[in-house]
Amino acid sequence: MERIRNLLRVLLRRALSEHGREAPALTDITIERASGRFEPRVGAHFANGYCTWVPVRPDDCYAVCERYAAWDLPSLRRALLCEAHEIYARMCAEHWAGVGRERRSMAALIFDRLRRRTRHPDAAGHARGDVETVRDEPDAIPRRRQETPRRLLEWWAEQRSDYARSALFGTGMSADIGSKRAQERGIQLLKENLSVAQRQQYDKYGHFDVTGGKTGKRYRIRHGRQMNIEQLDRNGRRVCGWCFFPQGNLVSGDVMLAQKAALELFEGDVLRIANRF
Amino acid sequence: MAIQIVMDRTGDTRHEFDVADSNAVVLAEERFRHLTGKGFRAVALSGDGGPGKLVDKFDPHVEQTLFIPQLQGG
Repeated sequence: MERIRNLLRVLLRRALSEHGREAPALTDITIERASGRFEPRVGAHFANGYCTWVPVRPDDCYAVCERYAAWDLPSLRRALLCEAHEIYARMCAEHWAGVGRERRSMAALIFDRLRRRTRHPDAAGHARGDVETVRDEPDAIPRRRQETPRRLLEWWAEQRSDYARSALFGTGMSADIGSKRAQERGIQLLKENLSVAQRQQYDKYGHFDVTGGKTGKRYRIRHGRQMNIEQLDRNGRRVCGWCFFPQGNLVSGDVMLAQKAALELFEGDVLRIANRF
Repeated sequence: MAIQIVMDRTGDTRHEFDVADSNAVVLAEERFRHLTGKGFRAVALSGDGGPGKLVDKFDPHVEQTLFIPQLQGG
């Protein structure tokens, strides 16, 4: 079992490292048979369209076949998806905990520096090796020493709102893109307002197509918050990308719903402000 | 019951009101004016995933109104 789990970990780790804070939802696991010179491979598909593959050997799968009594490809795929979901949930939790520790230590370091410099501006100045500058400009250093704590406090005041949203103050690491609950509510609202075909497309591939209300052009909205809209031609090929989103740092479900409504109801207005890429 | 759905950082905030209750309708109209004044677009949702309809004036009989914040280019 451990061999196939390690392969799945490799795939899932790639998604986490590629997408950092916005870890995409795992949507599917696929297995491709060997073809020509190519080995059989297993792939992980994510809600944002990201897909990654790793070669797999039949003996890697024996344990999982036995455990799940999966003796054909569809049932093996389901078994791997089940395993992958469990592993991915653990990896996401560890990932967030790691990011949290990193942020807390960074914040602690900033607090510590701020405290030391505010209490002992002279010591901090000397510690940073400003002595040489004193020789060149005798008046400059005392002035800089006086300004350092003030500038640090100003900087801290600017940063405070950002930090207030972070795990440092216990509101969840992903607060800047919405808490988990907010993300779920956003996706729920989106799904409530997708047609059956769009919902199926989104569940399966992590994107859905909409028709422009003014021009009748076809757009593909991928899971995401920015640079996630593609204009397609009649054959479904990408013509260009469009980037626009609602103000207010909304969660991805809300952003995608706003993009859908905008393209369907005021396509001309929104494409005037959107950036083409 | 009609509902106004305002997109925000929590996902959305929902305000339900009874069309028969005149006070609730007045409050809902105030909310509509306040939000559209701030640049929100009001969309009457179709309920079946269809395109819906852009709403310029408050209509208490619209079952579900979605308020979308002002859009910006990325």
